[in-house]
Amino acid sequence: MIARERLNQLVKKFGDGIRRADLPADNRLFVYVEPSGVKPVCEYLFRNLDARYVTSIGTDDRPFSGKFMVAHNFAFDRDGILCGVLAHLPADNTKVDSISDVVPAANWAEREIRDLVGIEPVGHPYLKRLVLSDGWPDGVHPLRKDVAWDFVPEGYDGERGFKFDDPPAGCTVVPFGPFHPTLDEPAHFRLYVEGEMVRGCEYRGFMAHRGIEKLAESVLTYNDIPMLAERICGICGCVHNVCYAQAVESAVALPPPPRAEYIRTIMLEIERLHSHLLWFGLACHIVGFDTLFMQSFRIREPVMWIAEKISGNRKTYALCLIGGVRWEITPELKAALRAVLDKLEAEWRRVIAAVSKDRNIQKRTRGIGVADKKLVKEVGLIGPVARAAGVDIDCRRDHPYAAYDRVDFDVITENGCDVWSRLLVRAKEVFESIKIIRQCLEKMEPGPLQTEIRDELPVGRLGLAAVEAPRGESHHFIVTGQNNRPRRWRVRAPTYQNLQGVPAMIKDQQLADMTISLGSIDPCFSCTDRLETMDLKSGATKVWTQEELLKLVRARAT
Amino acid sequence: MKTIWPILGGLVNVAMVLLVAPFCEGVLRKVTARIQSRQGPPLRQPYFDLLKLLGKEDIESGEAPRMQRFAVYLSLATVLTVACLVPMGFAAPLNGAGDVVLLIYLLTLSGICTLLAGLAAGSTYSLLGISREMMTMIALEPLLAVAIVIGAVHTQSFRLDTVLNGSVYGAGFPLSGLVMLGVMLLSFQAFVQRVPFDIAAAETELMDGPLVEYSGPKLALFKYAQMVRLVIYSGLFVALFVPWGSGLVFPLGWLLFWAKVFCLVLLVTVVAATHARYRIDQAIRYFAALLVVSLVALILASYGR
Repeated sequence: MIARERLNQLVKKFGDGIRRADLPADNRLFVYVEPSGVKPVCEYLFRNLDARYVTSIGTDDRPFSGKFMVAHNFAFDRDGILCGVLAHLPADNTKVDSISDVVPAANWAEREIRDLVGIEPVGHPYLKRLVLSDGWPDGVHPLRKDVAWDFVPEGYDGERGFKFDDPPAGCTVVPFGPFHPTLDEPAHFRLYVEGEMVRGCEYRGFMAHRGIEKLAESVLTYNDIPMLAERICGICGCVHNVCYAQAVESAVALPPPPRAEYIRTIMLEIERLHSHLLWFGLACHIVGFDTLFMQSFRIREPVMWIAEKISGNRKTYALCLIGGVRWEITPELKAALRAVLDKLEAEWRRVIAAVSKDRNIQKRTRGIGVADKKLVKEVGLIGPVARAAGVDIDCRRDHPYAAYDRVDFDVITENGCDVWSRLLVRAKEVFESIKIIRQCLEKMEPGPLQTEIRDELPVGRLGLAAVEAPRGESHHFIVTGQNNRPRRWRVRAPTYQNLQGVPAMIKDQQLADMTISLGSIDPCFSCTDRLETMDLKSGATKVWTQEELLKLVRARAT
Repeated sequence: MKTIWPILGGLVNVAMVLLVAPFCEGVLRKVTARIQSRQGPPLRQPYFDLLKLLGKEDIESGEAPRMQRFAVYLSLATVLTVACLVPMGFAAPLNGAGDVVLLIYLLTLSGICTLLAGLAAGSTYSLLGISREMMTMIALEPLLAVAIVIGAVHTQSFRLDTVLNGSVYGAGFPLSGLVMLGVMLLSFQAFVQRVPFDIAAAETELMDGPLVEYSGPKLALFKYAQMVRLVIYSGLFVALFVPWGSGLVFPLGWLLFWAKVFCLVLLVTVVAATHARYRIDQAIRYFAALLVVSLVALILASYGR
């Protein structure tokens, strides 16, 4: 057991520093340490054992253990292990050493914990508000258990603005977003521009607050959450749906039946197909090549239709429940799906043949938005961005789930580190997805779609699951709880990490390359802007105050 | 009686470009749509678009509203004035009113209107747009000037009717004229501000750059000026490089002229639909290379080749 080997390495190095360890399965490792041991253990994992940083979670565990908890999750991709480093903090001293100076990729996650749970990362290099809206009062942390899901804090200040850093000398500020033709969702980049060159930027995102995690922990039940999880993202929703279900299943050791696993695999790959084709079209649109944009969307459309045939919806398939799936793939659907794949494959081959020879597109994408191996490691970049830098990770192969261990496919890598390489990776992954779906259709055997659940799910178990979304690895962390709902559920969408790499990618290149560089990570801001309660809107303008806007909205509604 | 003909001719030219320009835009959109496997809007859609924009509220959102208004009027007025100086199926109406130098000035002025518009709007994006527009202008305008001067060298005249009649070829087909034809074909997309050289507007980067603050009637006039620009430059191209048949009797020569213009519009459409936008530095390098070639052509022309 490699997980045990890793644990032995940790015990050998830290001895009593490791308080407790759980190995619930061959591929999961939970290590409990003292708060003071968090930083050295994480540093050892990240630097010496070369683990990949995944995410950090803070949770208010006071009603159950009287303590707060932080967890830093890592992945050993070669060994197929997902690993959590956990520490309990006393309720009266919510401070823990920051790991961001040794693991730069943890920058956002630690700031988020500070905003939402109020756990202070001591020694964090850039302690600015990240998730909470500008007007939210200090000292109120919405993910604490004593804050109700519909709580409205005193002292919300709609006029309070965000304080941006000063631009470097000689640079002018170009505001990019929140509304821009190439941003489908609100996000704000404050670009420091010298002539046409971008010298740096500051990011302010998290503008769409939906309170999804809070709702799951306080209002919904286990089988409601998959439907909500799916609405995290409009493009890769099924990923979150499956990933949540898998996190719960891994926590309570409840494997779904084989046929359900095949169906999950098929739907995830259908989603990847439509997502990659969509991205390809948008990337072409960004560099002004609208013909390929339109053709790519035309080729994509039958994929949407077959998804609708299977699930009743073009998107938002409502696929998973805990322990199974809700849709059957009938023989007629199989035949229809095969026909769609054949047509898609032929048409896509033609597009790729044309594009790979097109020097015009290469001129705009080669050497642009460079993210090399070092950046991938430091910032924890994933998915096609990592694979385009020659980092061979893909959690479909590394941490197999659903039926991926029973199908044969290649993990596509390129070595250009640039937008062109990412384009090639995604273009070729389309063929791999087609291959995977065909094998699933071939191999799936009749059987039940749902595992029977007789008892209530056990309480206090930890679950980790990773699903390779089209834009990188989605990661769900769950602590099971009472009342038929999780105690804590944390979603880490791929864009959360990839977006942190963007400032380095756009630095010292032309402003014109900004949009395609940002576009090349296939950003999905709604996945990232996950948290927060209530319907308060900051961003009151001179003309409309927030109250007036609210009044207007409510007047229309009645 | 003598003064009435140029005025009437000018009015005919202005009316023609105003009528035909949106139609050309419609053709461009329709053909683009067909290339992209789309249905595309009906050919008359640009007329409706203009009418709709003209009927909208006139919002003043920029830094200097008066200057914005002025820039818009000037922009359309300039291209319409140029319309009177270009032969469209018959001799240029204002033939005697100016020479080719005036023509070059007016074409530059229409570019300056865009600068003025962006400057008056005063947003970061429009300023970025005009800095790109300015760089493009500096690199691009000499190309047309060289083409016209080559024509002037061959014909030993600056007169409009002499130069704008296939003069780059002089008598026979000198090398310089053919080289210049190539240069103009390769840079034509930039003159009419279409992909791959719609760099100043660059919707997905700068949100239409200089025009970002324009809406309603002002936007309508600007769009109109851009549509007219496509026709005017096509007309100029025809006059300079493919003049054959323009001497035919009235309806024939006239029809032939518009047929040639449509062919150019189609060419512009196909090129625009099959390319990605270049970056400003790539474009400038490209224009600079063309400029060197055109200067070589000018030297050749001055030696009578």
